[in-house]
Amino acid sequence: MKLYDFELHAECYAARLMLSLLGVPHEVETVDVYPEAAHLTPAFRAINPLGRVPVLEDGALRFGTVQGILAYLAAAYDTSGQWAPDTAVLRGEVAGWMAIAAELAATAGQARLIETMFAQGDAEAARAGAEGLLRVIDQHLWFGEVEGRDWLCSAPHPTIADIACFPHLVLSEDGGISRQDYPAIRRWIDRVKRLPGFTVMSGVFATSSAL
Amino acid sequence: MMDLAGWHPIAAATDVVRRHVFHGQLLGREVAVWRADDGFVNVWENRCLHRGVRLSMGLNDGRELRCLYHGWRYANRSAGCTYIPAHPADAPARRICNRTYPGVEAAGMIWSAVAPEAEFALPEVLVGTDPLVLRPVSVNAAPGVALSMAEGLVPGGSVARGASVLFGQAGLVVFVQPLDAHRCVLRGVLLRQPEDRIAALRDHDGLLCALREGIEAAGEAAPAPLEVSFQPVDEALGQMPARGVGGGELRVQVTRKWAAAEGIVGVQLRALRGVLPTFQPGAHIDVHLPNGMRRPYSIVNAPGEEGYTIGVKRDDAGRGGSICLHDAVRQGDVLAISAPRNTFPLRRDSERVLLIAGGIGITPMLAMAQALAVQGIAYALHVFARSAAHVPFAERLEGLAVTRHLGLDAAQTGAALSGILSGYAFSHHVYACGPAPMLSAARQIAAAQGWTEEAVHLEYFANPEAIDDSSAFEIALARSAMTLQVPAGRTILQVLQENGVDLPSSCEQGACGTCVCGVLEGDVAHQDVYLSASEHAANDRIMTCVSRAKSARLVLDI
Repeated sequence: MKLYDFELHAECYAARLMLSLLGVPHEVETVDVYPEAAHLTPAFRAINPLGRVPVLEDGALRFGTVQGILAYLAAAYDTSGQWAPDTAVLRGEVAGWMAIAAELAATAGQARLIETMFAQGDAEAARAGAEGLLRVIDQHLWFGEVEGRDWLCSAPHPTIADIACFPHLVLSEDGGISRQDYPAIRRWIDRVKRLPGFTVMSGVFATSSAL
Repeated sequence: MMDLAGWHPIAAATDVVRRHVFHGQLLGREVAVWRADDGFVNVWENRCLHRGVRLSMGLNDGRELRCLYHGWRYANRSAGCTYIPAHPADAPARRICNRTYPGVEAAGMIWSAVAPEAEFALPEVLVGTDPLVLRPVSVNAAPGVALSMAEGLVPGGSVARGASVLFGQAGLVVFVQPLDAHRCVLRGVLLRQPEDRIAALRDHDGLLCALREGIEAAGEAAPAPLEVSFQPVDEALGQMPARGVGGGELRVQVTRKWAAAEGIVGVQLRALRGVLPTFQPGAHIDVHLPNGMRRPYSIVNAPGEEGYTIGVKRDDAGRGGSICLHDAVRQGDVLAISAPRNTFPLRRDSERVLLIAGGIGITPMLAMAQALAVQGIAYALHVFARSAAHVPFAERLEGLAVTRHLGLDAAQTGAALSGILSGYAFSHHVYACGPAPMLSAARQIAAAQGWTEEAVHLEYFANPEAIDDSSAFEIALARSAMTLQVPAGRTILQVLQENGVDLPSSCEQGACGTCVCGVLEGDVAHQDVYLSASEHAANDRIMTCVSRAKSARLVLDI
């Protein structure tokens, strides 16, 4: 298995995190997204016509979006069946949070790309969009704690929805979005960091062990 | 008008979960709020003293908070720095201490104040209630604007205590926590526990979110910045620490005294008021005894623990300090002690640590073992004692990696030490405290098995050597610009103190290392057991309580 990867890319981190949590052996090929823009070259477009990382290659199969990669890895390599659960309720919830993760990429993630990699766009508008999402996510997680739910979906374990949202939330401060107003998100980040197999990236550190 | 000197809720008690660091703010000051495993809630300025990185990014290990940047560790309660990884062999100065804010847990919330003029008192509206704390709702609006709009938006609202709005009939109180000039948090509290808790939480959350929308939609212009009353920085922070020869600067109460083992009492000391300064594993305090004596005792506490606990072995043949502590000092007594001093610092960058305790020498070893256990560094504690009944602090030994060696004679002890000290490798360190013959044996065996001198750390109870004080010589004090004569029969330390040069001292027999002084010129006749052979050979430090000059003159760096 091979991951086309750029270390500082939030969605590549989601793919690396999933591979690490599942313990799937793989090789990594670095695509120099910034500053070389190697993901936009014809050579890379031959691999992913969308011109983006991450791309996962498993034999003859190729997945060129983070949503596709997470869904495939969970379905193909998760023996526990927890990461992409099969019930009607959880399928609906996971799909919903995967859509929110894409919105996070377009707001908090975009603010980060503008601030750190000089992407084009309006950082203030991106941050304002993120604030609305973060308020809702914090509220959802706060009521989750009250109701005995630790994760984004109602399952008693994390799902690919948590992994899809995690990079944008944990890296939000790179884009100028403080998490001070979102204490429930900060506690959920600690819980994700304590998952067996958790892996770090530049700007994302391990936390202390649980009591 | 916001209540700048008053107390405000800064977090819900449920925000400050174990092994987490909450990121808060009050009146423009950012705070890191963390609960230690003993339940204590620390409210600290959100800034590492080293490079200013936010401590809210740090790691809460249950007893200490570790800064994420360079690993400085700060203790629960005292907020003092206990370890600096870049200086693994040194004890951090105890004055390296984070700015703390007062923190009180009451009515399901954590309360704090920037510059309180009075002790915390629960707002009257909450007294005698069993409140349900709602979800905090942060608002991008000036606290004053939020407060007045909250009043206006809900009929029957009225300002109580300057910082809260009471919504009459529903039994709902909303506190407006001022974050800074243009942001605040609405902290709602229901005065009675509702029948359906979750439904009530959701209903009122909807109300507060609507309130936020109303306040933010009004889009009031940002007001002038809050006037904050600054508390001046403690003058002492900008000065060299005062050096008291007596060192009895702290008053403590004996809160517990108990028979910890055969012939050993445990003594627990608590501050009369406030928080005692930070200690590090290996540190000792000087206890001023009712009989006028001053004696050093190692602290046995685990990291971040409240107060100080010491162990004292009765020595009928001693000078009387232990007998006084055993017989005269009682629970409830007030004693004077020095602040903790650490002349036996523990490196925390070792791959493996051996701790060897003989008899009452277990006291510093216990503090070290508990710190290593918390931090997850490989260690083994070996306790030598006459019998199991002679091993104190059984409750602390529980859960530690301890091996007991009981009732061994000198030869058997030597054989046991040989076994323990076998297998030296780079980055192994051994710390030992016990009777002098045992430490001498440990030093020899370690050297024979290839341990480097830097890896062997010994703490003597007393100096077993006979001190020769027959020489007479001159000392020149380079910084104080004085030249003094040291006659036979008097020590350098005595001559310094008689001439008004303050140098802290403790054991005064060349064992503890407190009265060390730099040497600039001259040859030192070392008579202490604190420095190692190569440190003696370096001829750049002197234990002024016992060591003397070989040359006619010594130039000291004091």
